[in-house]
Parts: sequence; structure tokens; C-alpha cells
Amino acid sequence: MEETAQLTEKEQKNVLFRLLSYTKPHKKELILAFTLLVITTLGELAGPLLVKIFIDDYLTPGNLVFGPLIILGASYLGIQIVKSLLMFFQLVKFQEIALKIIQQLRVDIFTKVHSLGLKYFDQTPAGSIVSRVTNDTEAIKDMFVTVISTFIQSGFLLAGIFITMFILDVKLALFCLIFIPLILLVMSLYRKYSSRYYLDMRERLSQLNAKLSESLQGMSIIQVFRQEKRLRKEFEDINEKHYNAGMKNIKIDGLLLRPAVDLIFILGLIIVLNYFGLTSLNSPVEIGVLYAFVNYLERFFEPVNNMMMRLSLYQQAIVAGARVFRILDKEELAPPQNEESNLSIEEGSIEFKNLTFSYDGQRDVLKNISFTARPGETVALVGHTGSGKSSIINLLMRFYEYEKGDILVDGKSIRDFSKDELRDKMGLVLQDPFLFFGSVRDNITLHNHHLTDEQVEEAAKFVQAHTFIEKLEDSYNHKVVERGSTLSSGQRQLIAFARTIAANPKILVLDEATANIDTETEEAIQTALAKMRKGRTTIAIAHRLSTIQDADLILVLHQGEIVERGTHQELLALGGLYHKMFLLQNGAVDRLEDVMQ
Amino acid sequence: MRVFLDLGWFFKQEKKAYISGIAILLFVALLQLVPPKVIGIIADHINDGTLTKGLLFEWMAILVGAGIGMYVLRYFWRIMIFGSAVKLSKQLRNQLYQHFTNMSPSFYQKRRTGDLMAHATNDLSAIQQTAGAGVLTLVDSLSTGGTVILAMAFTISWKLTLICLIPMPFMAILTSWFGTMLHRTFHKAQEAFSDLNDKTQESISGIKVIKTFGQEKEDIEDFRKQSDDVVQKNIVVAKIDSLYDPTISIIVGISFFLAITFGSKYVLTGELTIGELIAFTTYLGLLIWPMLAFGWLFNIVERGRASYDRVAALLREKSDITDREHALDVVPSGDIHYDIKKFTFPGEKEPMLKDVAFSINRGETLGIVGKTGAGKTTLLKLLIREFEDYEGGITIGGHTLQDYKLEKLREAIGYVPQDHFLFSASVAENIAFTNPLVPEEEINSAARLANIHDDILQFTDGYQTVVGERGVSLSGGQKQRISIARALLMNPEVLVLDDSLSAVDAKTEEAILSSLRKNREGKTTIITSHRLSAIQHANLILVLEYGKVIERGTHDELMANHGWYKEMYLRQQLEELVEHGGH
Repeated sequence: MEETAQLTEKEQKNVLFRLLSYTKPHKKELILAFTLLVITTLGELAGPLLVKIFIDDYLTPGNLVFGPLIILGASYLGIQIVKSLLMFFQLVKFQEIALKIIQQLRVDIFTKVHSLGLKYFDQTPAGSIVSRVTNDTEAIKDMFVTVISTFIQSGFLLAGIFITMFILDVKLALFCLIFIPLILLVMSLYRKYSSRYYLDMRERLSQLNAKLSESLQGMSIIQVFRQEKRLRKEFEDINEKHYNAGMKNIKIDGLLLRPAVDLIFILGLIIVLNYFGLTSLNSPVEIGVLYAFVNYLERFFEPVNNMMMRLSLYQQAIVAGARVFRILDKEELAPPQNEESNLSIEEGSIEFKNLTFSYDGQRDVLKNISFTARPGETVALVGHTGSGKSSIINLLMRFYEYEKGDILVDGKSIRDFSKDELRDKMGLVLQDPFLFFGSVRDNITLHNHHLTDEQVEEAAKFVQAHTFIEKLEDSYNHKVVERGSTLSSGQRQLIAFARTIAANPKILVLDEATANIDTETEEAIQTALAKMRKGRTTIAIAHRLSTIQDADLILVLHQGEIVERGTHQELLALGGLYHKMFLLQNGAVDRLEDVMQ
Repeated sequence: MRVFLDLGWFFKQEKKAYISGIAILLFVALLQLVPPKVIGIIADHINDGTLTKGLLFEWMAILVGAGIGMYVLRYFWRIMIFGSAVKLSKQLRNQLYQHFTNMSPSFYQKRRTGDLMAHATNDLSAIQQTAGAGVLTLVDSLSTGGTVILAMAFTISWKLTLICLIPMPFMAILTSWFGTMLHRTFHKAQEAFSDLNDKTQESISGIKVIKTFGQEKEDIEDFRKQSDDVVQKNIVVAKIDSLYDPTISIIVGISFFLAITFGSKYVLTGELTIGELIAFTTYLGLLIWPMLAFGWLFNIVERGRASYDRVAALLREKSDITDREHALDVVPSGDIHYDIKKFTFPGEKEPMLKDVAFSINRGETLGIVGKTGAGKTTLLKLLIREFEDYEGGITIGGHTLQDYKLEKLREAIGYVPQDHFLFSASVAENIAFTNPLVPEEEINSAARLANIHDDILQFTDGYQTVVGERGVSLSGGQKQRISIARALLMNPEVLVLDDSLSAVDAKTEEAILSSLRKNREGKTTIITSHRLSAIQHANLILVLEYGKVIERGTHDELMANHGWYKEMYLRQQLEELVEHGGH
């Protein structure tokens, strides 16, 4: 909410124009909608005019001829009905255009989010990104649907009323022009004060909700420390302030909204009646014109009320728009690849050459890492939390850009391959096997619809997942709910394996799950892992050392450095860090005691 | 309309405001009749050529008076009626909050925070609508509608009034019907929107998977489809929304047509003057709002009733943990004795604790260890009376927990929970949570004891740095130590640390424990921990497994035992070594 204060008039205008530029692709539809709007406005204006003709030409002189009256009556009713029908289409059309504009804006920002690097996601809470994509665009929708269409429609009607007034009586219409500055004055006063008080109330409300939500989350703390009374008091204070802000809003609305506009209406009446009254003292007056003027006056103020009520929505939309555009203008893009390149990964060898890397540009999390994985070999990374294992994988997957050193695939820098080539040939299995909403099959194919049912099943069989999937309700069509919470963590892992195998990568990158996995699936996982690695260059993070005993090379990392390297047997013989880690996981109590002494 | 009866207590409480507000509304309704009447009279005078300047100014003065009168009165009824409605929501919100603070954990186990929030926000705003806009529309549509119809019928022509009113009820019926449809379709559109929200959330949480499989384009396509669905459902809403204006316009048009057609007939027969006819059509214009309002009224009241029922049901819930009569009004102190035969969480089948019995003397330290889910935290929760339905008993100083007033019992216990929850307030306020007026030195010394003082001084605003959800982000270890300082500030009879040192390193843990040993001289301390080093010095250590005590004794006794404790101890020692690179 405070962000409005930071937006200057000029910035607000820029945001508005940029939002309006989204209407461009809808020019044709807009023209149609405007045409409909013009016709309905004309219909709106015609009604009182017809009555005026009736009063002045037929009723007052007592000249009631049947034929013309039928025509007059029929056209009055006809205009009413046609106008109302067209009004419906015009209202729908405007909203439709607004919704389509928002659709475009949403897709734009979602596309943009996908092009950003992981660094952005590390720095920004997921909730706030989601809120930009959905809630902020929703606020902008409100502006397009209600504010802009209300303003356009009201503006048209007001202009039409004035034009008709001028046609009926130029002098009187000129008198009526004094409404314009008056209404503008009330509007700007209202905008000035209400936006201030309205924002104040919103701010209080969000404080109130924040307090409530925090209290609900920390209720056990509040209770165990006996602070119920004090927090009740604090809540009551905020509530009181919110109440006061609410009362202020009611007062401002009461002073400047409907009652004020109604007062201006009375003023208008006085002008019109005086004008006709005074004129009638000297010359005859057409009563029908009086009727028409009074009737127009009544219609004049409804659009004004409508416009005033929408002003606060406009303010919110501009703030939301500014936030959305800030993301659209972000430049922290994902690390670039050479998209022109048609290099392809044939062998699948990987080499890290003197790689040094830092997330924040200050503290190096990887220091001078070098190693080679020849085609088909398995390189295992072990080490304590924070030793740099995951960073190696993050760089290999091109989630982050590195500056010093290089990563070579088939002897060429990884940057020289196109993104599609890398994604095709490299498969990553994450520690947390993220499952999406949808069926088990959807989770194996992801969006790759070329995969046949046989291929999906084959992949599942290959990773030992077929047996348990078949037992699920609806087997491959089993619905995955709440990120797969109904499946065991081992089962989720197997589905993630199948997903990777279905894509048939040349290089496999594994981040082993740390979670406890039931012994039954554990066995399946181990068998699957061994099969998957066969014939593929594999880089694996291992938490359980038993799983990587056959690795061609084991790298032991500590604080970003490779402190030990070799095969399982070599490292055990070394009697260093790896040896201790191995004991920790597999040693019996007496062995532990030996080492500790 | 039953909701107005349900809210009767509030209308009674605010009867002054409501009675005067309604009286003013009625008066405004009468004043509203003036302008059309004046228009009619002036028109007739003009038509008859009987108008004089004096006459004109007289009527204008009346008009000015009526205009200003209405402006002032309209301002006041708003304050009275809308103001009372805002007051109602304030009052209910306070009641809800107070109620929430009285409810025990079993209440919170059954409900999600989001749902409780929804009651305090959406439901209250629906109730506020009922007490404000609901009362207004009811009174205003009846009074304005009534007086206008009476004025038309009695001062102009009852025949013409009857004829012109024929189309009006359709407006009320149709708008009410549209309202129901709008509510339903809007609900669907909201659901589609919330699906889109979930989809976005999922894409962002799963961004790594999407990037790994290079499926950005496909995911965007999927998003576009869902977003299209939102658009389609909103267009349905838009269509119903767009029905209102045209419907009103047609019905009003027909009504006007009837007025003019039949009105002119009466003018020609001399039953009406032209001025009266003009006044009549202006009155007709005044009827649009009450009819519309009547349609709305049903929708407002319907929603208000559902919301009020939900809030009232929530307020009716009773807390299951209360003081018994004549409970002891003293802060408990003395030896603690546990004898729990069996405890099962409400709604669970398997008991969480079985046959747990032990004693600790005042001033001693108890250590509780065991795997996750062994029942360590549960044991502590029973001590602070978060749950009660167990077989057996717990005594402090010879009295069972239930003998003491709940407030006194909790005054004796300084609890540091596992999930270190801090409030969005300054560090100082968080530490001085139990007593905001405590002098700064005490806050500092509690912070020093918890080994967080130096960290705090490094923060940008020192002790005034705002932490919690909307403040700076602290490391888990810092949060834990602030929670410890918060409990230490009470200087409680019993200090309970529920695995509260898990996120600090071994050196800091040792520093905190040793300062605690000095500071807690003569007072009881209970520590649960995964890391055995935290409880090594305890007078009694319990090893829990599946809710049962499987080993008990001092560190030395347990090390001689060659059981779970010893193996775990050695393992943790080695782990520590590995963490430090093996040296």
C-alpha cells in the first residue's frame, strides 16, 4: 500500500499508458463496442426527446391524431427495447475485451517468469511471484472491466446529454455547463481525501489481518506465556483504529459522494426551473422542453455517481500494474546458451576445469573444482551439508551462471550447446521428486505427448515402478493430489525415475533422496538406479555411501573443495574423512568406539 | 429475514443510532417528494401563465431548503446506520479474537488457520453488509417506495399509479434472480481463479523440474489454457452482470410509456394537468432505486445469515481446558512427579505415551531423548496442560496440575517450543514478551544468558530490529536463542527446552548450557533433545521409544549400559568429527 506514495504522477501515467497499450490488438472489437455504445447512448437520449415532441406538438395543443401517435408510441417502445438489447451486447463486449487483455498480460508475465534464472527464484518468495501473476493482474482486470468501461460509458452519456441540451436550448445548456467544474471539483476533492482515507483503511485492515493471522499461528506461545489479555488489548487497539478509519470513510462518502451529487442535482433543477419560469414571464415556453431538461438532468447524475465510486479501484490497479511491469522489466535471465549451435552431445563425457563459483559474489561455495567423467562412467559426490555437492549439479544443469573455470561436455564448453540439446541429453533426478497435479501418466510424460502408453509403461517397468503403479486405483490414471502426499516418498522417487528414463538422456544427474524410504521400495530404487546408470555418464550425489561403492570415481567435498578422491576401496584404505563417514553409516558400535578413541 | 432477529441484540444495544437513523431515513423519504412536486407546480403555472417572480422565488426557496436538508440528513443517517454496522463488525471481531485466545490446542487441531481467518474477514464483512446496507435497503426501499407511491396515488392519480406500477415488481424479482445466478457463477469463476493460482504456485515450486526437462513452452501453453478457462467463466459472470442495466432500462421504459400514454389520456379528460404528469414521471424515476434495492436485499440477507450462523457456531464452541472451582491461586513449585498410564491424542487410535513414570526434585535437570515421534514433546505438552485426557496424573509440589489455576501453572513454566515462533515486533519486544515493561538491563541479561546478545548488537537496529514474518530473516539458531531468552526473562520455576538447541552449533550449545547451569541454580530444568550433548549433565535422563521409557539413568550409567543411548552418543560424536572435515 505504501507503494502508491512512491509512484510519482508521471510514473502513474506511464503505467496507465502501458496498460492501455494492451488494447491495441483488439482494435476491431473495440470499434464494434464503441459503435454499439454510440447507438445505445443515442437511444438513451431519444426517449425524453420523443416525449418532448409528444407533449409540445400533440398534448399541449390537444391535437391527438391517431396515426402519428401510434408511430410515436411504437418508436418509443421500439427504441427502448432495441437500445436495451444493444446495451447488453455492448456491456458484454467491453468486459470480454478487458478479460482478453488480462489474459494476454497474464501469459506475458508467466512467460517472463519462466525466462528468469534460478537466482531470481532464490531471492523472491514463491508467494510473491504467484501474487504478481494472479492477484495483481486481477486488480488490473477490475480496472479494465469496471473503471475504464464505466468511464467510457459515462463519458459518452454525459457528452450526449450535453449535445442534446444544446440542440434543445443553447442558452440553458450554457447555464448547465457550470456543472462541469462543480462536478470536477467534487470529484477531485473526493479523490484526494478518499484515496487517503481509503488507503489508510486498507492499511489498517491488513494490519488487523496480519495480527489475527500471526496470533492464530502463535496461539500456543501466547497461551503458554499467559499474554492473552495483553494481545487482546493490542488487537482491540488496532481494531479501534480500523473502526475509526472506517468511520472516516463513511463520513467522506457521506459528504462528497451521493448526497453531494444529489445536492448538485437540486441546484440544476433550480437553474432549469428559474430559466423557464423567468423566460415564461416574457414569452411562451415549450413545456416539453422543460420535461426533457428535467429528465436529462436526472440521467446526468447516475454516471457521475458511478464514476466516483470506481476511483479507488483505479488507484489499486495502477499500483498493481507498476508491480507487474517491474517483473516484466526484470533482467536476471536464465544463463544464456548458444541457440544457433547445432552441436550435439554424442559421447557424454563431462569435465570440470578449475571451476570456482559463488552465489552472492562474495563467498565462494566451490573452489577450483576439477574432475573428469568419461563416457558411461559414474562420478559420485559425497560430503556434509553445505560442502558444495548441490552447487556442482546446479552449475552442470545450467541453473546458475559461473564466471571462473569451465564445464566441458564432449570437450566443448557447455555454453556452446543449445538449450534444447542440453535438456534432451541431460536428465536430472531431484532429491525432492516434485509431482505435479494430474495423473501418474502425466507425471511420467510431463508435457511430452509423443510418448505412447507402451513407452510410458516400459519406462516404469525399467525403473521398477510398474508393479506399484498397477496396484494403484486406476493405475496409470491414478490422480496425484497435493504433490503426491498419498504416495510414499519411495514411490514418488520411482515415478521421478520413470519420468527421466522416458526422456532417455545421455547424461544422468542424480540427487539422492535423504528421506527415509521403506525397505521394500528401497530395494526397487537401488535396482532401478543401477539399471539407469548403465551406459550413461552419471554424476550422483550420494547420501548413503553403500549405493555408490561401484562408482568409477568418488569425490569427497568439504567446504567447497575436493579433499579426497578415488574409488571406494582406495578411499577406505586412506582412512580419512570418507572412511569415517562410511563407519558412521555402516559401522557397528564397537567399531565406532575404536575410532573415537 | 431471520438474520435481523438474530442480530436483535445488536439493534437493541445500538437502538439510539438505529431509531434516529431510521427516523432520518423516513424524513429524507418525505423530503424527496418535494422536488418533483415543485417541478409539477411550476410547469402548471407556466402552462397556465399564472407564474409570478415572487411565486417562483418562493418555490425556489423551498427547493433550496429541501436540497440542503436532504444533504445534511443523508450524511447523518449514513453515520448512524453504516457507522453502527462498522461497529458491529468491530465488536464481533473483538469477540472472535477473545474467543480464539481462550481455545485449547484441540480446537486448533480441527481447524486450519486459513478457515478461521476467513470467518474473521469474509463472514464479518457479510454480516456488516447485513447490518448496514441490509437495514438501509429494507428501510429505504419500504419508506421511499411507500411514500413515493402514496404521493403519486394521493396527490396525483391513484389510477395512473396502479397502471404504472404493474411492471415494477418484475424488476425486484428479476434483479433478485440475477443476484442468485451472479453469486453462483461468480463462485465458479473464483474457483477457476484459485485453480490458476494453484497452477502458478505449482509451476514456481517445480521450476527446477520444468527447467530440467526444458518444458517451459509446454508449461506456458498449459497456463494459457487454464487462464482461458478463467476468462470463459468470467465472461459468463459478465453476461449475467450485463443483464441488470438493460432489464432495468426496459422495465423503466415500459413504465414511463404507460405513464405518458395513460397520463395524457387523463390530461385530455381534465383529470390531470400537464405539470402533474411531469411530476408523476419524476416520481416514477424515484421508484427505480427502491425496487432495485428490494432485489438486492434478498441477496444481502441470504449471505448475511449464512455468515452469521457460521460465526455464531464458532463462538459457541467451548474450551475443553478450564479452571476447576476453588483452584489454587498460587504459582506451583516443588518436586515434579509424572505417572502417566496412557495418553492418546484426541482423534488418534494409538496411544502416544504408555506407562511413563518418574520424579525430579526441585532444582534438578531432566533430560529426555529418543527418536522423532517417541513422545518427547507430548510429555512436555501435558505439563503445560495443552492436553488433558490421560490416565494417571502429574503433580508439582504435591498437587496435581489441575489443582492450580491454569494461569498460575503457566506462570511457573518457561517454555521454549520446538518451532521457534517469533512475533512481528522488535527483538526487545519478543524477549520481553511476558512483560513489556521490564527494564532494558533485564532484556540484555536474558539475551546474554541465551548467547544471543552479541548477535543482536550486529543487527541493523540492535534490539529494535523487527523480526518475525514481516521482519528481517534470522537463522534458525538465532530464532531459537531469542526464544530461549524470552523464556529466561520470566526466570521461571520450571524451564522447559523442547529440542531448542538443535540449530545452534556445538560450541554455542555448550556456552548456553553452562550459563544455564549457573543461572538455574535451585530451579528445575527439563530438556528434550536429539543431540545427546545437550542433556549429558542432567540428573536424570530418560530414553523414550514409541511412548515408553526404554532406558533411564545418568549419562555415566547409560554409557555403561551398552544400549541405544551409548550407540547414539558415539554416532553423534563421529558425526561431529565428519562435519568438521574429520579432524
